[in-house]
Amino acid sequence: MRVLVYIIIGLVCMLFESSLSSHISLDLFKPDFGIPLIIYVTFFMGPRAGFITTICLGFIQEGLSGAPTGSIMFVKISIFLITTFMKKQLYIDSKYSFAMTCGAAVLLESFLFLSLSLLARGETGNMYNILFYAIPNAIFTGFVSIFIYSLIEYLNASYLDRVR
Amino acid sequence: MLVVSFLSFTNTPLVVKSFTAVKGGLSIAIGPVLKAIGKPTEAVSGGFNGYINLVNTKKENNELKKQLDTTLIENQRLSELERENKRLKRILNFIEQKPGTMIAAKVTGEDLKNWFRCIIVDKGKESGVKVRMPVVTHRGIVGQAVEVNQWHSKVMVINDTNSSIDVNVEGKNTRGLLEGTGQNTLKLKYVVKNDEIEIGDKLATSGKDGIFPKGIPVGIVITVNKNKSGIFADIEVMPFNNFKQLDEVLIVKKQ
Repeated sequence: MRVLVYIIIGLVCMLFESSLSSHISLDLFKPDFGIPLIIYVTFFMGPRAGFITTICLGFIQEGLSGAPTGSIMFVKISIFLITTFMKKQLYIDSKYSFAMTCGAAVLLESFLFLSLSLLARGETGNMYNILFYAIPNAIFTGFVSIFIYSLIEYLNASYLDRVR
Repeated sequence: MLVVSFLSFTNTPLVVKSFTAVKGGLSIAIGPVLKAIGKPTEAVSGGFNGYINLVNTKKENNELKKQLDTTLIENQRLSELERENKRLKRILNFIEQKPGTMIAAKVTGEDLKNWFRCIIVDKGKESGVKVRMPVVTHRGIVGQAVEVNQWHSKVMVINDTNSSIDVNVEGKNTRGLLEGTGQNTLKLKYVVKNDEIEIGDKLATSGKDGIFPKGIPVGIVITVNKNKSGIFADIEVMPFNNFKQLDEVLIVKKQ
């Protein structure tokens, strides 16, 4: 139930972002709504729920992006696996530490994508573009994850924990 | 799943086919949902633009401000309608030049990642859109359809780093390959330094790449650098279309 709610939040945010960016130029301010949800679910609800969230949000992002088939899913699953292994090393106690983790994960995602393109296909054409947006994407996603964390915590306290 | 997505990325035939089928099946609803979500989003962007326009009226007294607000909003709505009317008229004129060869589509979304330049349009297989169909506006070329679903399609815009088009310089015997940079400008490559080209030259498709028909306007040359090493000149091109403000596009049916 909770996972489904989080996936729906991700879906709505992504659709809204895609639709809004065709009206307003969001160029430098395109947050990744998938990463905060994947990290939150994997951290606080376990690997199984995290995996389901990763697959669903990965496919939604693949559907809304012109990236080569499989590339976004690959980096999302990698982020999920890294989060699973890092679970005991990282300590998320507030929305700010959550935001830092999400920002770092977005940076890592950019470098993973870059390495994947470079090693698997030998493509360097997009390298400058990915590096150019890596830091703004990380900062903005970190900023947005503060709100996502607060929203999820509010939903948990007000509705989802009561349902359970 | 990690292995499957990797194999799909590296174009392993069987895997990429099944992965694309699953992805297509799951994203079939994206088109209609994006179309539905477009209305409130337009309202939000309208409000955002309206807010920017109204910032300078803050110092005026409340009564006047209220009147001004109403007038401005009304004005903005009317000028928006007028702009839309003009735009649609131009598109209609453009379609009438070659009736039955184009499909008009509305831009409903944009790529979620800023690494790629891709737009989502509200026409798909059911309207007869096919992969590699050129996409244009009355100003010039936009890109090509790269992924076609039942009710929506993804269009790779020419400023994407994966895009390249064979172009001619209008009125001159110069030809080159126009490549996307991921930014607003494009790079014209493989033009020899001795070739006739200067700032202000207009470029049009040559029709030799097998995707874009001949003679569609592409952009204008903004810088030419022949002082660098090597045999080719360094040329920057500004496309005629502003890809950040696309509302309607035309998909050219392949003959």
